[in-house]
Amino acid sequence: MPEPLISQDQIYQEVRTAIADALQISGDKVQPDSSLIRELAVESLDFIDINFRLEQRFNVGMPRKYLLDHVEELFGEGVAIDKDGRLTETAVTIWNARLESTGQGVRAGMSLEDVPALVTPRTLVMVVEEILATCPDACPGCGKAAWKLTGGTTMSCGNCGAHPPFLTGDEVIRRWLEEFRARGGLKSSAP
Amino acid sequence: MEPCHGRVALVTGSSRGLGSVIARKLSEAGADLVLNYRKAGGRSEAQAKALAKELVERGSRAVAIQADISQKDAVVAMFQEIGAEYGRLDILVLNAARAPFKSVGELLKRDLLELVETNYLGNIYCMQQALPLMQGRPGHVVFISSLGSRFVLPNYPLGSMKAAMECLVKQWAAELQDREITVNGVTAGLLKTDSLIVLRQYWPAVARLPASAFVELEDVAAVVLFLCTDAARGIRGQHIVVDNGLSNEMLLAAPAG
Repeated sequence: MPEPLISQDQIYQEVRTAIADALQISGDKVQPDSSLIRELAVESLDFIDINFRLEQRFNVGMPRKYLLDHVEELFGEGVAIDKDGRLTETAVTIWNARLESTGQGVRAGMSLEDVPALVTPRTLVMVVEEILATCPDACPGCGKAAWKLTGGTTMSCGNCGAHPPFLTGDEVIRRWLEEFRARGGLKSSAP
Repeated sequence: MEPCHGRVALVTGSSRGLGSVIARKLSEAGADLVLNYRKAGGRSEAQAKALAKELVERGSRAVAIQADISQKDAVVAMFQEIGAEYGRLDILVLNAARAPFKSVGELLKRDLLELVETNYLGNIYCMQQALPLMQGRPGHVVFISSLGSRFVLPNYPLGSMKAAMECLVKQWAAELQDREITVNGVTAGLLKTDSLIVLRQYWPAVARLPASAFVELEDVAAVVLFLCTDAARGIRGQHIVVDNGLSNEMLLAAPAG
């Protein structure tokens, strides 16, 4: 796999800046594993603000919905969250398969309300990285493989100037979930 | 001079955005304030407390009370605290709102519950709990609605709750007719608050609207204040659209053949 045009560290720097700017705090206060909610006092509208800034910066579409919302839309209501608002075994299996690498595990019985507090800058870096990775090798407009960076963090075709047709964050999650189901990932936790 | 002098006003959801501007406006008009925010420990708590401090330093009485209005127990506790602090309530501004931004087809049951519990039930809990504290004096209730109650906005199921509340406002105004408590709504247009950040995520075209499409927070708050004064006592169960003319000019923007 070729070296991505935008490095993980570069993404992290932008994530840190987006958080600091949205909250009007110093970037020094943001650490890769800070809980945005618990340690930085982020609220739901702030998440949207942070995402908006990242979208502008990378010219991508951040997810509008949480992973577990997608799970329920794809696999049915009640699959991830029980009637008391708690995570099911299936939710835990999916979450940990997808996000354990960011250092934030969940357990069955955990309240859905406690889930957003697990989001850290590292989670956002992963989301951006995954979206950027959906860039096709060649530009669909002119067929040339000549992606380059403009303005530091925005990619465009060096030949025709078109922007890459990244999948949106929601599409990335849905595709991941469908692949997870296809390879039998849901079975181990079937009730 | 000060039209709300000696009155006690509660503005729900007043840590930021329009709620905070309304709270300031009422305070400037002489009212003592109860600020309300939903979540303990977050930024809104810090903002609500800072606003209370600011109002106190300017010579008003003001307290910030945490209560998630979707929880009836929390609303009951908030009004007990208001009773203990002030012993009365004269003005209730129902401003708090909270909603998922999704298309109708995507709404999960918990999204629907969140919509109804905060934006419908929560407002009714507040109205019910406010009444005993408004006993024996003229009072004013203002519900903050949005153009989403009557016009389509993308991914804005909150509009349906605003419409339900606008209907309830009329009902309640009639019920309270004899008690000299006015109940009205202010239907705000597009505001440049944190909610705009949300809106532009789901409706990118909003970023291209001219400045005239937006209404100043101050202009909305001024109408809310008016409805909370004796001068407005003849207005009952009405909704005043404050949108800088946006909805009035809707047909001018329709694409021509």
